[in-house]
Amino acid sequence: MTTYQPDAATDKAALYIYCVARAKSDRVLGPIGLEDKPVYTVIAGDICAIVHDCQAEPYQSDVPEIAQDWVLAHQRVVCAAEEVFGTILPMAFNMIVHGDAKDDAVSNLQTWLTEKQDKFTRLLDKLTGKGEYGIQIFWDRQLVAEALVQRDPELREMRDEALKKPKGLAYMLQQKLTKATREAVETKANLYVEDFYTRIRQCVDEIRVEKLKKTDDGEQMLLNLSCLMEKGSSALGNVLKEIQETEGISVRFTGPWPPYSFVNTG
Amino acid sequence: MEPQLPKWNNRATLVDLLDRVLDKGLFLRADLVISVAGIPLIGVTLSVAVAGMETMLKYGILSDWDKEIRALPRKELQRLYQRQPAEEATAA
Repeated sequence: MTTYQPDAATDKAALYIYCVARAKSDRVLGPIGLEDKPVYTVIAGDICAIVHDCQAEPYQSDVPEIAQDWVLAHQRVVCAAEEVFGTILPMAFNMIVHGDAKDDAVSNLQTWLTEKQDKFTRLLDKLTGKGEYGIQIFWDRQLVAEALVQRDPELREMRDEALKKPKGLAYMLQQKLTKATREAVETKANLYVEDFYTRIRQCVDEIRVEKLKKTDDGEQMLLNLSCLMEKGSSALGNVLKEIQETEGISVRFTGPWPPYSFVNTG
Repeated sequence: MEPQLPKWNNRATLVDLLDRVLDKGLFLRADLVISVAGIPLIGVTLSVAVAGMETMLKYGILSDWDKEIRALPRKELQRLYQRQPAEEATAA
């Protein structure tokens, strides 16, 4: 939060920043920004920021379609910058540098870039030739549970016994079976997670465990990962293919992404 | 330069993008950035919109936006690179 309120709500009071890259000469990327704003570079030393001129206020909207268009525009510019510059460090959405009583937005941005020059240069070097890939692994919990009961002699016996007994007793046995099955399923989940994570980790340069997300189609998410990997590598694809062949398991794989998940480390 | 992607590489969805663009990426120093009491208004708006669309998105009904997003810069850039260098310098 800033205490200085820029009184000119001009279209050039601030700079919306899309990403950071190694500086080449001043570049113009065209009117591909939010609200079709012209996108260009601000250079400081060896690095630059890809920006558009904006008012000194954040982009906010109650209308989801509008907010969605802005987010897609942000990604569009980040991707365009990757085409031009090869490697970039993407910003989060709505990172806007303002001017103040002393300096305009461009100077403030250049000061920030200069401060971060070493860190950003190291990051850019680290990320060169690599992409971010998202991996989500799901399982059909019901299917796995049934297979476990079928294959485990104790569980199978409990199930067969429950079918034979009169109502009251059958109910108790069913409860016991449900509990035992749940425990077996949990154990299986942990085994899968550890196994898949280990195998994936060996194929990638860096890995982040992300929060699991709810699904509404009966499948349960077991693992949600962001991985940093050389763009030409095929090792991960092979491992994911094997994992996909596991009974009850399905894999969702997206990428290459600009490295959003790997620019805030170190 | 694309890696050998498995056949079942799913199209990225808006949810995948939002997870990245709202919570990750570089952040500015707090004193430099314009914000509104740190409340992620855009995040809330989009989460509301996305909650309703998530089922559609998961099954790829909006599956082509990622391809469109990536195609657009190439078109724009092709147009740009056809410009004369003098034009480029004064365009900013």
